[in-house]
Amino acid sequence: MKAKVGVYICECGPNISERVDIEKISEELLSSGEYDDVELVVKNYGLLCSGDGKTYLEEEITSNAFTHLVIAACSPRDHNTTFINVCKKTDLNPFLYKMVNIREHCAWIIPDKDKATEKAVQYIRGGIKRVLYQSELFEKQLDITPDVLILGGGIAGMEAALALAGEERTVFLVERSSELGGVSAGLNRLLPRQGGEVNKLSSYRGEVENNEHIKLYLDSEIKSVIGFLGNYEVTIGSGDEEEGVELVVGAVIVATGFKLPEINGLPGFDFSEKDEVHSSIEIERMMATDRKLAMRNGEEPKSVALVHCGGRSERGYCSQICCSYMMKIAGYIKDQSTEIEVVEYFRDLCLPYKEDQKFYDEIAARGVEFRRFGKLEVDGASVVSTGMDGAESKQEYDMVIVAPAMLPAEGTEALAGLLEIPLHETGFFEEEHQSTNAIGTTTDGIFIIGAAQGPRGISSSMLFAQASAGRISTQLIPGQKITPEVKVSEILEAYCTGCLTCLEVCSYGAIYFDDDRAISVVNEAVCRGCGNCFGSCPSGALRTKHFTNTQLMKEVAEAVRER
Amino acid sequence: MSRDSVLIIGAGLAGMKAGLLLANAGKKVYLVEKLPLIGGMAIKDEESFPNFECSTCMVAPVQQDVLQNPHIETMTLSTVETVEGSVGEFKVNIKKGARYVSMTDCIGCGMCYEPCPVSINNEWEEDLGEMKAIYVPTAGSLPNVPTIDPQHCTRLNGSDECNACAEACMFGAIKLDDKDEELVIEVGAIVIATGSSTYDVSSLETLGYGSFPGVFSPLEFERLFASNGPTEGEMTIRDTESVPSKIAIVHCVGRKEVGYCSSVCCMYSLKFAHFLKHKIPDAVVTNIHSDICVHDKTYQKFYEGINGVDTEMRFCSSMADVCVSGNGSGLKVNYPDGKGKEQAVEVDMVILAAAIVPTEGTAALAGILGIELDGFGFIRSLSENIGSIETSREGIFVAGSAEGPKDIQTSVIQAEAAAGKVMALLSAMPEPVAAESETGE
Repeated sequence: MKAKVGVYICECGPNISERVDIEKISEELLSSGEYDDVELVVKNYGLLCSGDGKTYLEEEITSNAFTHLVIAACSPRDHNTTFINVCKKTDLNPFLYKMVNIREHCAWIIPDKDKATEKAVQYIRGGIKRVLYQSELFEKQLDITPDVLILGGGIAGMEAALALAGEERTVFLVERSSELGGVSAGLNRLLPRQGGEVNKLSSYRGEVENNEHIKLYLDSEIKSVIGFLGNYEVTIGSGDEEEGVELVVGAVIVATGFKLPEINGLPGFDFSEKDEVHSSIEIERMMATDRKLAMRNGEEPKSVALVHCGGRSERGYCSQICCSYMMKIAGYIKDQSTEIEVVEYFRDLCLPYKEDQKFYDEIAARGVEFRRFGKLEVDGASVVSTGMDGAESKQEYDMVIVAPAMLPAEGTEALAGLLEIPLHETGFFEEEHQSTNAIGTTTDGIFIIGAAQGPRGISSSMLFAQASAGRISTQLIPGQKITPEVKVSEILEAYCTGCLTCLEVCSYGAIYFDDDRAISVVNEAVCRGCGNCFGSCPSGALRTKHFTNTQLMKEVAEAVRER
Repeated sequence: MSRDSVLIIGAGLAGMKAGLLLANAGKKVYLVEKLPLIGGMAIKDEESFPNFECSTCMVAPVQQDVLQNPHIETMTLSTVETVEGSVGEFKVNIKKGARYVSMTDCIGCGMCYEPCPVSINNEWEEDLGEMKAIYVPTAGSLPNVPTIDPQHCTRLNGSDECNACAEACMFGAIKLDDKDEELVIEVGAIVIATGSSTYDVSSLETLGYGSFPGVFSPLEFERLFASNGPTEGEMTIRDTESVPSKIAIVHCVGRKEVGYCSSVCCMYSLKFAHFLKHKIPDAVVTNIHSDICVHDKTYQKFYEGINGVDTEMRFCSSMADVCVSGNGSGLKVNYPDGKGKEQAVEVDMVILAAAIVPTEGTAALAGILGIELDGFGFIRSLSENIGSIETSREGIFVAGSAEGPKDIQTSVIQAEAAAGKVMALLSAMPEPVAAESETGE
C-alpha cells in the first residue's frame, strides 16, 4: 500500500504566516517530484491548536485515511501532547505522527522571509522522511498488586505500614531483629516539638502488631527480588536459610534506618573503657531504664560535658538531629539536679526546625553553658577545645557524653546490591533526585525512607514514611492497571556481542545478561527509554524505540541534503 | 462528587506536586493560585542548591504536566473567599480575578506588549525592572498568557480609550470587558501550599537596606543573577549600574527578630558566593556568618566546595552587631570577630541573607479556613502527631514552607505526604447518601 502522508502547516496567526511563505512551502513540497512514491497532502490552517483546529485535524485524518501525519507548527513542548491526543481520537497510531518546529526554529529567528521559508521546507522534508521510518507502538496495560513490602520495623517502617495497610492493601513488614521499634524504641523522652512523651511511639508497636492488614516477619530479611513496579516477586527468609516465604508486591519500601559508631574509634577521641566517656544513645537508654544519670560507680556526676559533632568531619556530613537531642540530654541532667555543671561543646548549632531555637533558649536559661569550638579533642574525660578566639582550653569532667555521627545501617551495601539501587557517597541509599524525588530511586517502585536515605530524626522519618504512602497510594490503586513506558530500548540478538557495556550504563537496572544466549536483554517493564544503552552500544545491537539511528539519520540527512 | 475532589491552595512546587499525584490517582484537583503564573518561589532562582541545577528546567516540566493534566483545573489570579462545611464536603467560594486576556484564544506570542503605552514596576522581579500594563511577569511564565493590570491600564482605569493591545492581537484574545468571577466548588479535602516570604530587611536600619543602592535582599539578588531577569543576568548595582568587585554576604539576617533558624539561608548564601565568582571571576567574596546549618547528607560537601574557593568565610561572634555603613562611594561592613574584636570589610555590594517568614496573606487565609497558626505565624501542624502535616481542622493539610522554613526537598516530601493523607482520608469516607438512594431504587 502506498503511504499517504498528511502535512499540516499551522499559520499560528501571523506568527508563522507572516514570516514564512506558507504557499511557497506547499508548492515546493508538491512540485519537487521527490514524493512520487507516497501520496502527499499539504494543507495549512489558521491555528491548529485551537478547538476548531483540533476538530478540523481530526476530520482530516479520518477522511483522508492518512498512514502518516506531519504537523509543522510551534515547539513540540507547547503542543506535541495536543496533537498526540488528536491522533488518539482517530485510527492513526500517534507514533506515526511527527511534529516539526517551524516557529521557534524558523519564523521567529530568521528575519529574511525567503531564508526562513527555505529552512522550513528543509525541516518539513526531514520530518516527512522521518515519519515514514517510524513504527506503530502500542501502550500496554499491566495488572498490578497494590500490596507493599517494607524492609525495617523502626519508626519509619511502622509509620509507612500503618499509613498504607487497609482492606485492599496488605503490607508485609520485615524486620531483621526480633522486635519492632528500631533505635527510637530506646529513647527516654522526645523533643518538646514532638510532644515530649514517648507514649505515642510505644503505642505504635501495638497498633502494627494488631493490624490485620499488616503481616509481620520478625528475625527475617529479604533474600531475593525480581520484577518491576506493580509486580515484584520477593523471597523473605531468616538467617542463612535459602528457603523462604515468596511474596508478590507492587512496591518495596526500604526503611532500614541507621547505626551509631563506637565513639572510641573516632579520630580525636582517646580514652579507655574505664573513663566516663559515653555515647548519647547510652545515656538515653540509661535514663529510660534507670531514670537516673550515674557514673560507673553509681554516683551522680558533678560536671558533664556534652560534645557535639563526633566524627562529623570524617564522615563529611552533618547528622541533622544531634544539636537538638543533645539539648534534650542537657535538660535531663538539669531535671535531675540543677547543681550539675553542664557544658555543651558545639561547632555550629544546627537547628533547622523552627521550634528548636526556643528550646535552645530555654536550655541555656537553665544554666547550661554553650561553648563553641573550632577544634576539639577528648582525652580521657578531659575536653581540649580551641574556641573561635583561637584560645585553647583543657577541662576535666566527671562525665563526657558524645553525639556520634549517624552511619548507614549494617548491611546497607549488600541490600543496595540485592535491590540494584545506588548508594550515595556518604554510604546511605541514594535518591533519584535530591530536591524533587527524595524518596524515589532509579528503580520505579522502590522507595527509600527515614534514616536509610540520610541522617534524620523521628519527625522527618515519619514524614518521609507518609510521603512514601502518598506515592504508593496514588500510583498503585487497587483494581487499576498501570501503563509502562512505550518508547523503550530493544536489543537485536544477532548483533549483540555480550560485551556488557549496556548493563554498566543503565541507571534503572533494566538490562540483564542472558547467560544461555550470552546476550544482554532489556526488561521492557523497567526501561524508561533514556537511551543511555543505545548511545553506548559498540556493536549497534541496541536501539530505543521511536529514536532509532535510522529514524534520526534519515531525518537529519534529508533536512541538510543539498538540492 | 466532593469526596473525589481536592482543593490545593498555592501552585508552587509543593502544590503542583501534590496536585499531580492526586490527579494521577483520578481525583479532580482544583489548583488555586493568586498570581497570574504558576511555579512558586523555585522559578525565581536561576539555579538551585545543592547541584546548581537550572531551576526552570527542574520546575517547567512539572508546570507543563499540571497545565496539561485533564484532572487539574488550574485557576490563576484566584483566591479562596469562604469555606463552609466539613471534611468530605467542604463548600468553597473562589474569586477568580479577571485576566482580560482569553486563556483559550491567546497563544502567547507577545505581540501585545510593545504597543502598550504604560510602563510599571515589575513586582515579581522585585521592582528591579519594568513591565507594561499588559504583561507576563517574566519570560517563560506559565501559563504563557499575559494579564492586564486594571489599575494601571489606562483603558481599564478609565483614563482614556486606549485599545493598543487589542489592535495588536491577531487572535482576538484581549477581553477588555472581562469580569471577576465568583464560583463555588465542593471538595473533600484541602491542601494549603501557599509558601513563604522573606524577612523585610528594610526594618533593620543598621544593615543599610534602602539607604545604600549596593545593599540587596536575597530575592533581588536571585533576580539580578537570573538570565531571564530584569538585567538578563548582568550583575550590576542599581543606580550606578557598575559591576561589583567586592561583595559581602551577611548570614542570619532577622534570625534574632523572628526567633528561629530558617534552615536554608546558609545554603543559599553559599550558592550566591558561587554565583558571584562564576560571573565575576575577579570578585572578592566574603560570607559573614555565625552557625553554619547544612543538614542534608549532600549539604556539607556543597559547603566545603565553596568555602575558601568562592568565598572567604568569616566567623562573627554576634550577628546582631553587624553594621553596614557608607564608605565613600562604597560600603563598609563592621562585625565582631571570634575574639569579639571589631573587624571591617570594605565592599561595593552587600547581600542580606534574610530569614524565611510567613506570607502576608497567611493569617487571613487561616481565618477563612478556620485553622490555627503557630507562634511565628506559619500554619500550625499538630505537634501531638509527630512529623505531621495535619492542621488543626480535619481534612485540611499543609505542605511546603507555609508550615515553616524548609528546602525544596522537604517541601516536596510534605506534598507527597499530603497526597497520601488525602487519599487515605477520602477512600475511608462513606459513600455519599445520594449514591445509596440510587442503588436503593
